[in-house]
Amino acid sequence: MILDLHTHSVRSDDGRAKVANYCQWIRKKELPLDGFVLTEHRQWDAESDYRALEDEYGLLILKASEVETDYGHVLVFGVNDDLTHAFDFARIDNPLTAVIEAADRCGAFAAPCHPGRRNVGMFSHYERKGPVAGVEVVEVFNGGSIPGEDDLSVQEAARFGYKGIGGSDSHIVSRIGLCATEFQDDITSIDGLVTGLRGGRFEARTWRT
Amino acid sequence: MADVDIRAVRDEWVGRVFQEIDLVVDQHRMLEWAITAGETDPRFIDPEHPDFQASTAYPTHINAARMLPDDFPNLGERGIDGGKAVEWHRPMRAGDHLHATVQIGDVYEKTGRSGTMVFIVNRMSFYDSEKRLVAEVDWRMIRST
Repeated sequence: MILDLHTHSVRSDDGRAKVANYCQWIRKKELPLDGFVLTEHRQWDAESDYRALEDEYGLLILKASEVETDYGHVLVFGVNDDLTHAFDFARIDNPLTAVIEAADRCGAFAAPCHPGRRNVGMFSHYERKGPVAGVEVVEVFNGGSIPGEDDLSVQEAARFGYKGIGGSDSHIVSRIGLCATEFQDDITSIDGLVTGLRGGRFEARTWRT
Repeated sequence: MADVDIRAVRDEWVGRVFQEIDLVVDQHRMLEWAITAGETDPRFIDPEHPDFQASTAYPTHINAARMLPDDFPNLGERGIDGGKAVEWHRPMRAGDHLHATVQIGDVYEKTGRSGTMVFIVNRMSFYDSEKRLVAEVDWRMIRST
């Protein structure tokens, strides 16, 4: 099962894609995706309900968040009320350790994204501040990376023993599915995704040329 | 930028109208804008069309005198245009008498490869003579720290 774990819709301040258009694009281009996760910037989108689109297009559409920390950006899967009260999603300086601990405590899962990126990638902070305990999975393939960033992510993830996931980081429809994550087990819900990420039975995939 | 609490700025300023203007939609300006933008839809470039109206981006050229309130805090000296977005609620037509309000729509921070940026959203809302919302233009201004 292949899921794009990192996408943005018009719910993000810089997102230009409507979720329905993502679905249309996936089907029109026959992309090998079984679904995607909306990871809106610095917020938890509790309102949007995409079940009708899931039924119409036969895709799994899940919701998560991309938050900002003192070690760069982090995807948080399995957001719930407890977690939204644990730290301020709108802040850009949340301590990464606090985000990881809160996610663990609240039944969610935190994975730093584009870690090879300057300033907003975790590994650029490792050079100055050292590694952070509790990191298990990082996004090694990101559709918005410039040359060299994903190479660094893959290299450093291997060095620290982190599993890798992939996501397109799409903000417009035509970017969805450039990178994704292939799971060995079927996933049907956000709880299933969290379980899948903890289990480690997945591989990052990229279709970037 | 001084050490500014963005959340406090947001709480204090978002939603505060700091300018209001009245205007009449000018057919010549509508046409000029649409043709210059390369529009080909007759609704935008043919005044004889039964649904003739302002083109999609037309309201973005209407600016109030002030981008920010006079006493708005300094959130960074270096600034760039972060783009404009239009949300339409009903057509804007030649001769319409509109009332526009300008407010701070949002203030937020984000980080990117180049560092921390503060976004200030200038929101201009256009209402018709029956006080119905016609269109909203969000103009994002980026301040780099």
